[in-house]
Amino acid sequence: MRIKFLTVLSIAIALFIGACGGKSDADLAKAINDKFAADKITGVTVAVKDGVATLTGEVADAAAKSKAETAAKGVEGIKSVTNSLTTKPLPVATPAAADPALTGKITEDLKKAGCTGANVSVASGKVTVTGEVGAAKYAECVQVIMQSGITGIDNQLKKGK
Amino acid sequence: MSAQEKYVSILELANQNGTTYELTEGDNGTLVVTGTAPSAEAKQALWDEYERLDPEFKGGDLILNIQTAEAAAAGGGMHTHTVESGDSLSKIAKGYGIQWKAIWDHNRDILKDPDKIYPGQELKIPM
Repeated sequence: MRIKFLTVLSIAIALFIGACGGKSDADLAKAINDKFAADKITGVTVAVKDGVATLTGEVADAAAKSKAETAAKGVEGIKSVTNSLTTKPLPVATPAAADPALTGKITEDLKKAGCTGANVSVASGKVTVTGEVGAAKYAECVQVIMQSGITGIDNQLKKGK
Repeated sequence: MSAQEKYVSILELANQNGTTYELTEGDNGTLVVTGTAPSAEAKQALWDEYERLDPEFKGGDLILNIQTAEAAAAGGGMHTHTVESGDSLSKIAKGYGIQWKAIWDHNRDILKDPDKIYPGQELKIPM
């Protein structure tokens, strides 16, 4: 039984390769869908025509969009990928606290981090940073500000020596 | 190009190094990435990538708000204020835009009297 099955299968494959000279678009689409399933990529519709894959649908973010494209390109026989995926609209960010509270928190956090040259003012969750801090501290000071729950930044902080 | 596409390599790195994140849209299309990194190294890797893309973080189109898992577990929404000479509960409260009683309520374990606070004391500030 097993031998018979294998024989039928080989004949089928031989005929198929003879007829198409390669994988059909339907096979390529299936291969991409299998790859997506293995990589846990969901929400993507695949269409393949003449070896060109078109991806449509909505995914979580730009990283997911890029991941799907890379996965599809990795499938043997795919000539190119048209990535028409869209990303989910983002919810609106809400500031972590009212402006005076944020100003107080950032000022205190900056002081603790030794970022004494930086000054902040917050308006509607958006912080404007002015002043100057040393180059060695610069990235750390920006981190402190961005980790305070703000929703916008105008960074005019100067990077000193 | 959207901020998401501009900074896609940071998001990809986060997916690789086990950082969980949420995206929201802030002021004027700013991409706000709020997340938790499994380690300080993972967090630093994201910041290094941000610095590579925007060396002085001046674009104003990305806010990277990443905590380490450790800090997230310890913090719990409280902020710490270190008392300085000249501070009073009402003065500190004003700085954070809250009522002095809110600070008092959260610090009764270390404060005996709302009028007596000392430099160096670490007060919990509800945010």
